Amino acid sequence: MIRTSGLTKRVPTSEGELTILEDVDLHIESGESVAIVGASGSGKSTLLGLMAGLDTATSGEIWLDGQKLSDMDEEQRALLRARTVGFVFQTFQLLPSLTALENVMLPIELKGDPGAGAKARELLDRVGLSDRWHHYPNQLSGGEQQRIAIARAFATRAGILFADEPTGNLDTATGGKVVDVLFNLNREFDTTLVLVTHDERLARKCGRTVKLVAGRIAGEEAAAEVAHA
Amino acid sequence: MPDAAQPDAAQLGAHSLLIVAWRLMWRDWRGGELRLLFLALVLAVTSVTGIALFTDRLERALMLESANMLAADRVLHTREPAPAEINAEAVRRGFRTAGTLSFTSMAFSDSGNMLVAAKAVSDAYPLRGEVITTQRPFTRGAPVAHGPPPGEAWLESRALPALGVEVGDQVFVGETELTVGAVIIAEPDRGQGGIVDNAGPRLMLHMDDVAATNVVQLGSRVSYRSLFSHDDFDQLDEFEQWVRDTFEGNYYIRDVREESEEVAEALDRAEGYLLLGSLFAVLLAGLAIALSARRYSERHYDYVAILKTLGCTSGRISAIYSLIQLKLAAAAVLLGSVLGYLVHEGILRALQASLQVDLPPPGVQPYAVGAMTAFICLLSFALPPLLALRETPPLRVLRKDLTQTRFSDRIPYAFGIGGSILLILWYSQDLVLTSLLVAGVAGTGLILSLISLVFLTSSGSAGMKAGNAWKLAMTAVRRRRRQNVLQVMVFSVTIMSLLILGLLRTDLIADWQAQLPENTPNHFMMNITGSQVDGIEAFFADNAVDSNAFYPLMSARVRTINGSEPESEGEPGENERGASLVENNQFEEAPAADAEAAPGSGESAEDEGRRVRGRLSRRQVTWATDLPVDNRVTAGEWWPENSRPGLISVDEEYADWLDIEIGDTMEFEINQQFVSAEVANFRSVRWDNMQPNFFIIFSPGTIDHLGGTFLSTVLLETEQKLLLNDLIRQFPTIVVIEVDALIEQIQNIIAQVSSAIELIFGLVLVAGALVLLACVSASLDERFHENAILRTLGAGRKLILTSLLIEFTFIGIVAGVIATLGAEGGLFYLQEWVFEQDFNLHYWVWIAGPAAGAVLIAFLGVNSTRKVVNTSPLTVLRRVV
Ligand SMILES: Nc1ncnc2c1ncn2[C@@H]1O[C@H](COP(=O)(O)OP(=O)(O)OP(=O)(O)O)[C@@H](O)[C@H]1O
Ligand SMILES: [Mg+2]
Repeated sequence: MIRTSGLTKRVPTSEGELTILEDVDLHIESGESVAIVGASGSGKSTLLGLMAGLDTATSGEIWLDGQKLSDMDEEQRALLRARTVGFVFQTFQLLPSLTALENVMLPIELKGDPGAGAKARELLDRVGLSDRWHHYPNQLSGGEQQRIAIARAFATRAGILFADEPTGNLDTATGGKVVDVLFNLNREFDTTLVLVTHDERLARKCGRTVKLVAGRIAGEEAAAEVAHA
Repeated sequence: MPDAAQPDAAQLGAHSLLIVAWRLMWRDWRGGELRLLFLALVLAVTSVTGIALFTDRLERALMLESANMLAADRVLHTREPAPAEINAEAVRRGFRTAGTLSFTSMAFSDSGNMLVAAKAVSDAYPLRGEVITTQRPFTRGAPVAHGPPPGEAWLESRALPALGVEVGDQVFVGETELTVGAVIIAEPDRGQGGIVDNAGPRLMLHMDDVAATNVVQLGSRVSYRSLFSHDDFDQLDEFEQWVRDTFEGNYYIRDVREESEEVAEALDRAEGYLLLGSLFAVLLAGLAIALSARRYSERHYDYVAILKTLGCTSGRISAIYSLIQLKLAAAAVLLGSVLGYLVHEGILRALQASLQVDLPPPGVQPYAVGAMTAFICLLSFALPPLLALRETPPLRVLRKDLTQTRFSDRIPYAFGIGGSILLILWYSQDLVLTSLLVAGVAGTGLILSLISLVFLTSSGSAGMKAGNAWKLAMTAVRRRRRQNVLQVMVFSVTIMSLLILGLLRTDLIADWQAQLPENTPNHFMMNITGSQVDGIEAFFADNAVDSNAFYPLMSARVRTINGSEPESEGEPGENERGASLVENNQFEEAPAADAEAAPGSGESAEDEGRRVRGRLSRRQVTWATDLPVDNRVTAGEWWPENSRPGLISVDEEYADWLDIEIGDTMEFEINQQFVSAEVANFRSVRWDNMQPNFFIIFSPGTIDHLGGTFLSTVLLETEQKLLLNDLIRQFPTIVVIEVDALIEQIQNIIAQVSSAIELIFGLVLVAGALVLLACVSASLDERFHENAILRTLGAGRKLILTSLLIEFTFIGIVAGVIATLGAEGGLFYLQEWVFEQDFNLHYWVWIAGPAAGAVLIAFLGVNSTRKVVNTSPLTVLRRVV
């Protein structure tokens, strides 16, 4: 489903070139759930962004859903995102000018699929916020906003879900609830999940953990307790 | 397979794009983000449409009104009947034509006689305007659209008692007898022509009766006027050109501007001002659009990044935002057109009192101009920053600091500048003016930004100790330096525009009022002998009328300058044409060129040359103890009370033309005697004030003994005009020239033009206010966030408010200073080169400008940022995160 080989990202800074990622080889199977962990600044978000096609690598190759991302331009990547990718971010990233419902409908409409309203309502129901559909993001708590974001991520039935510290801005209890929702939907739709996190417990819920240290993969371990294995 | 999927997705998206665009727009609208942009657009359309509609109709109205002064749109003035081909061609082109013939004659009745200014008119007279007639003298009249029928004579009021006749009685003109058919109260082209048309009261008769009078014979002084009229302005110009081409300049058709310099100047200045006003209005509206669009797009970076992560391509982003803009523009054009119509209708309502003509209905062109302007504004000011949104990297969702930093950052400016230039060019249709303006604005902009940068950087250390609020304000000023430089520039450009238009308006109106004040004398008395002066003064004193100065009048010829024959340099000054009534109405033997009259009206090159020689050889001169009012000494000194004889004062342009210097000796021939005099000073003369003006004035004692006659003026209200009969009865040799109708017409036009200028200024004022508002709101978001943080850190409301007040006041003062500098510079250019006015520094503005800037910006700033302090910090932080 996702494959990177020799992935390297360097950025120019005032003190010369800075290497953020170096020679990252990663293979993620369809339906797999992978946690990317590491210290702050180790390059987790950068790797996620590259795999999702939000940015371009300095060198190396990325395949996403059978297509070679590194050969595409931003337009083509956008179309690919529309079809295959969903996101959940640490800072939620809902459109403040749209209601909860409209936020969830947005990707469906952009993809051009019919029945956006019904689908969105159903998803809102699934994340437990069906009664808040007409509220705007700034009228909702962080946890609620994140659940809307999750509903939005699943709205187009995308095959791959990228999540960057989805619980980073939430307290433990709220975070737990959000994680439950995320994994439930993930299981139900059989989505490939790539999750960046600091949270050990959250990482352990994934089938595999990849550890980044200073931009290099320092080790991988399969989670022992993956139930359905 | 992606290739196959791509067009598919794009197609499917069309409908959903619309939905998304609508939804974003609706919400932005309710959130107020779009409202300012919309308001700016509406204002652009409103002001442009309003001004265009108004100018369109006013210009036509003024043309019609001033055409009334000619009783036609174009006039051909000749001393002999004009060639028949001209009239035939005019008829062929669908013109309406008429003719008049003026001559001075005696009119007799059974009980009296008097000198009258006779005017024979054809059936179609008048082509423009109306003759106001009544049945009894000095009563209110009613308009009629024709002149007297054959066999009738119409008389001006005061001629009836003078001749002892009433309507229905008989009068004789030359050898024919006519029935008095009506009393003329007003006649559209009464003010036109020279002495033949204005000496004595009017007697109007039909053209067919002229032959029977036997008064008009070969060689007698008559003046023919062929009148032409057409509703299509272009046709008029084409016809004018045809006449010039066909007759090689021997015949010259004139419009009212060429016939009356005073009206021409008023109309030119009014048009110049309207143009300037609409330009400023559009540019200010453009600025407001640019500012609000920029703010709007800045707020949308995050949107776009999110939309992109959701799979929106750059093309679709552009489509969404273009759609929003299009809808906005369409709504703005609709609303703006309606508002523009209402605005111009309101202006006209207000003007109704002074507008005496029915306005022609407006065309569609003004609406097109308004809509076009809106789209140009949108394309050049609003779309670029919005289209730049498409460059927003999607990665921004992960890293906030990322914005597009590529070339597209500068594109908005290029577009905005290009759009402005296009607009200016389109409006002025004048490449030279446009380039000048662009160069001027570019230079000013550069200097302004330099000055404001210096101001804002150097301010920091000054008030560090002055307390917390001050410190907070000054750090804020410096921290937002780049943004503030922009803000100061916008503020100063706005205030500068308003100052320029405001001061120009005041100066123009003041100038007009000085030109023809309410109490301008409206009758000239000429041919007065020295022995009559006391009697005339006594006559006016008895009748409680103020008499004015009596100017001795002599005809002088320049013989030598410093002992040698005079040589003129190039063409005479342009004021020569309009010179003064005195010069135009020479009563002594006119110069050869004038009397023998070439077939045309004396405009051919050859003729011009002859006239110049005539001018050189014959001048109406006077002597005086005091400098005439409205004259200004520009070099040398005016002579003292008991000065020695033998000095002269010369009009500065005339002196320039003859290449005379102070101290030169000129020799004149006056009444067959030679007189030498030394040039003591140069004067500037107001040729447009309709008062006696002289190129040359002698000091007392120099030419007093040479005889000559006197000239004086008097102000007579309509109800006092009957006095003229008694005056002429007592002093039968004097000639009274009546210019009251002309002066009133000019005053009318000037009054209309003044109100037009006031209203345009008002409209631009609104545009300016909007720019200021847009500019303040543009910096609002950041302040919101910042102040929320400050408050969570424990800063009190008072501290924040005071610091805001200081910050805005400071910006306001800087902007005010720069605006004042710029305005004076701009005014200097405009008044010296465009409006041909004298430029004077406006000292009070040097205080008022910065003060107004400070008060205005501080008020606006604090007022609109008060929300910042009054909303709870939590709400703010929550909204922004
Ligand atoms: N465009 C850029 N320019 C400069 N430095 C960058 C850029 N992008 C990333 N970096 C740097 O690269 C490093 C890795 O960034 P990244 O956001 O991937 O870290 P992360 O592992 O997600 O950290 P965190 O856990 O704090 O989110 C950081 O030190 C960051 O400052
Ligand atoms: Mg990160």
